[in-house]
Amino acid sequence: MAENERPAQEKEGRTPDRRGFLKKALTLGGVLGAAGAFGALGIGKALAAGRAGEESQPGGMLQADGEALTWQGYADPNLNKGDGWQDWSRLLNPAKLPIYHDNFAQIKAARPKHHWVLVVDLRKCTGCQSCVVACKSENNIPVGNYRTWVDVGQVGKTVAAAGGDVVTDEGSYVQEVKVRNIPKLCNHCDNPPCVTVCPVKATFKRADGPVLVDPRLCIGCGTCVNACPYDARYLNPISHTADKCTLCVERIDAGLLPACVTTCVGRARVFGDLLDPKSEVSQLLAHYPAEVRKPEIGTKPQVFYIGLNGELATADNPASQRLIYTYTMNTNSTAYQKLNSPRK
Amino acid sequence: MGLEQVYWTLPIVAYPYISGLIAGSFIVGSLSKVFGQKQYEPLAKLSLLVTFAFILFAPVGPLADAQQPSRWWELFTRPHLPSAPMGLFTMIWTAYLLLVLVEMYLAFRVDFCQLAAVETGWRARLYRVLALGSTDTSEQRQAKEHTWLVGLAGVGIFLAFAFHGYIGFIFGAIKARPLWHNALMMPMFITSAILSGIALMIVVYTLVFRYFSREQRVDANLTSGLMKIMLWVMFVDVFFDIVDVLNSAPAAYANAATSQGFAQVFLHGPLTGAFWFGQIGLLVLALILALLPKVRRSPSAASLTSLLVLVSVFFMRYNVVIGGQLQAKASQGLVLYTPALLGRGSVQVVFGMFMLILFVFLVVMNVFPWDDGALRQRLASGNRPGVTEKPVNAAGR
Repeated sequence: MAENERPAQEKEGRTPDRRGFLKKALTLGGVLGAAGAFGALGIGKALAAGRAGEESQPGGMLQADGEALTWQGYADPNLNKGDGWQDWSRLLNPAKLPIYHDNFAQIKAARPKHHWVLVVDLRKCTGCQSCVVACKSENNIPVGNYRTWVDVGQVGKTVAAAGGDVVTDEGSYVQEVKVRNIPKLCNHCDNPPCVTVCPVKATFKRADGPVLVDPRLCIGCGTCVNACPYDARYLNPISHTADKCTLCVERIDAGLLPACVTTCVGRARVFGDLLDPKSEVSQLLAHYPAEVRKPEIGTKPQVFYIGLNGELATADNPASQRLIYTYTMNTNSTAYQKLNSPRK
Repeated sequence: MGLEQVYWTLPIVAYPYISGLIAGSFIVGSLSKVFGQKQYEPLAKLSLLVTFAFILFAPVGPLADAQQPSRWWELFTRPHLPSAPMGLFTMIWTAYLLLVLVEMYLAFRVDFCQLAAVETGWRARLYRVLALGSTDTSEQRQAKEHTWLVGLAGVGIFLAFAFHGYIGFIFGAIKARPLWHNALMMPMFITSAILSGIALMIVVYTLVFRYFSREQRVDANLTSGLMKIMLWVMFVDVFFDIVDVLNSAPAAYANAATSQGFAQVFLHGPLTGAFWFGQIGLLVLALILALLPKVRRSPSAASLTSLLVLVSVFFMRYNVVIGGQLQAKASQGLVLYTPALLGRGSVQVVFGMFMLILFVFLVVMNVFPWDDGALRQRLASGNRPGVTEKPVNAAGR
């Protein structure tokens, strides 16, 4: 220790001084500060991107976050503002119904007049995707995002059978295959985890059911997008806020049906009030066994499926459910990559 | 949906990392005050400055990753308490920042008063402002302040646990991500926070005291003591890693979504190397190195070991934040993700954050008298005209 305590300078015959130290530190600081400024530009850019309203560019379906600036021809997110489509106080909750950010059990005690739910009768879904198109045009959804989508999958297998109707050189087969079309959308859960995690109370559950986002308040932190077990939320690349299915709240407040329900060719989607025992949804749910997606998570989904096989209700299992790639499928995945390589 | 993405990108990886360094360095700085370990006294002031530089940038990560960061004030005007983990984090961060500022004032006030007396010109004015006009250097007041300092440091340790535990909870609370929804998240984050904080203080202490202090001397006893503490924390961290693997990997024990996700991402997936070599491998390597007395006693070797720990903890953050999001929620396969070099959520943003932290640290290091040796010399000679400055000593190593 003793020899250590001798200052290093004395060996070299120099004494320490503050100016030298400051000079050294400031030189280092200057170099690092310049590097920091470069990095700060990046932060600034990221911060400024929050208000980007750039000219629309022709883009494909595959756009990563921040690049999807095309909005089906609407380069300007404020276009036709006079129509009132951005008048959020009128659109989201015109009747000033109570809204809930947590403690959703209180909703029942407050005795709301309606409880809007959606019943999807899978026996009638043809997988035509017209609900997807209707939703996109009704709500002006940016390219690459969907508030509702229809997963088309094959369940079952092709098995060798003596008298099979698929005849090849190798033998004959029977196809024990079913095609399952599963329309998916926000479940407007009675216990929504996405609402509870919002740090700024920008998203809420309205007393009559819909889970909504106020885009004037959302800070776009993405917690709710991660917290939704159904991936029903996305970060809107135009408004830079979290966005989701609203059950077409402005339509139901006006006494209309949601766009996807109106357009459904097979009448597979049924919308109505669960508190009214005479409504079609109440009748359907009273007469047929219904399932919800991922019931094990305990979110109490309010979109009910008739004819949903239990295995399909939970996470997709590639072993039993082979997805057919429609344009709403997730192409940003290893599964999609494998499509181009020969399967084993 | 549509394209499933990694919504929380690199700034969110840096966010728990930076927060962990705050929590850890604060605890190291409190060793001498709260736990009576007087040999760590030289670290107390330095670690406060490190804590300060990092705490300013703790919320920059999530804000740089958020799409509407200009609405940050809503976190204070309409916080979602106590339900939202991020909402409560804002409160804990604010309390912690205030506590660090008060603690810095109390720790440096007497020095500021004394410096304001001996310095002249703008330096004297600066120190008078930093002392908030106080000139009282009586023993009585110092003793009183010391009591406060110790009390605040105790509260600060509690806040450090809350601060970093809550970041673990931001992930642990999200049941939609099977790899995050884990009760181990909070203790794992706290342990790795303390671990990375100690490692950072070993590196910073060695570098700063070797090259920037007046005596240019590193106390090998001090680093070796810190290494011994770090060794124990490493044992706990490795233990939590083992528990985590046992909890998530075997299909027979874990729930289906967790074990499938763990297998897809960490056993034969994109983050296999980052998990087994980056996170676990480097940690075990550092643990073995820290077990050697020779390594513990040499400050340079201790710093290298600490660097390994710092890298390993960064990998842990990456594996948690990115790995958890690779598992698809509504589609098949794994979500694809490559870290961007430039732009939103990129390496550039994280690099910029760390450079800004370094910049702030260098600024406060030049203003605050953290070096007791240099402070004594300054108080003796002052900056009065007539006292000639010695020739510039550039290298000094």
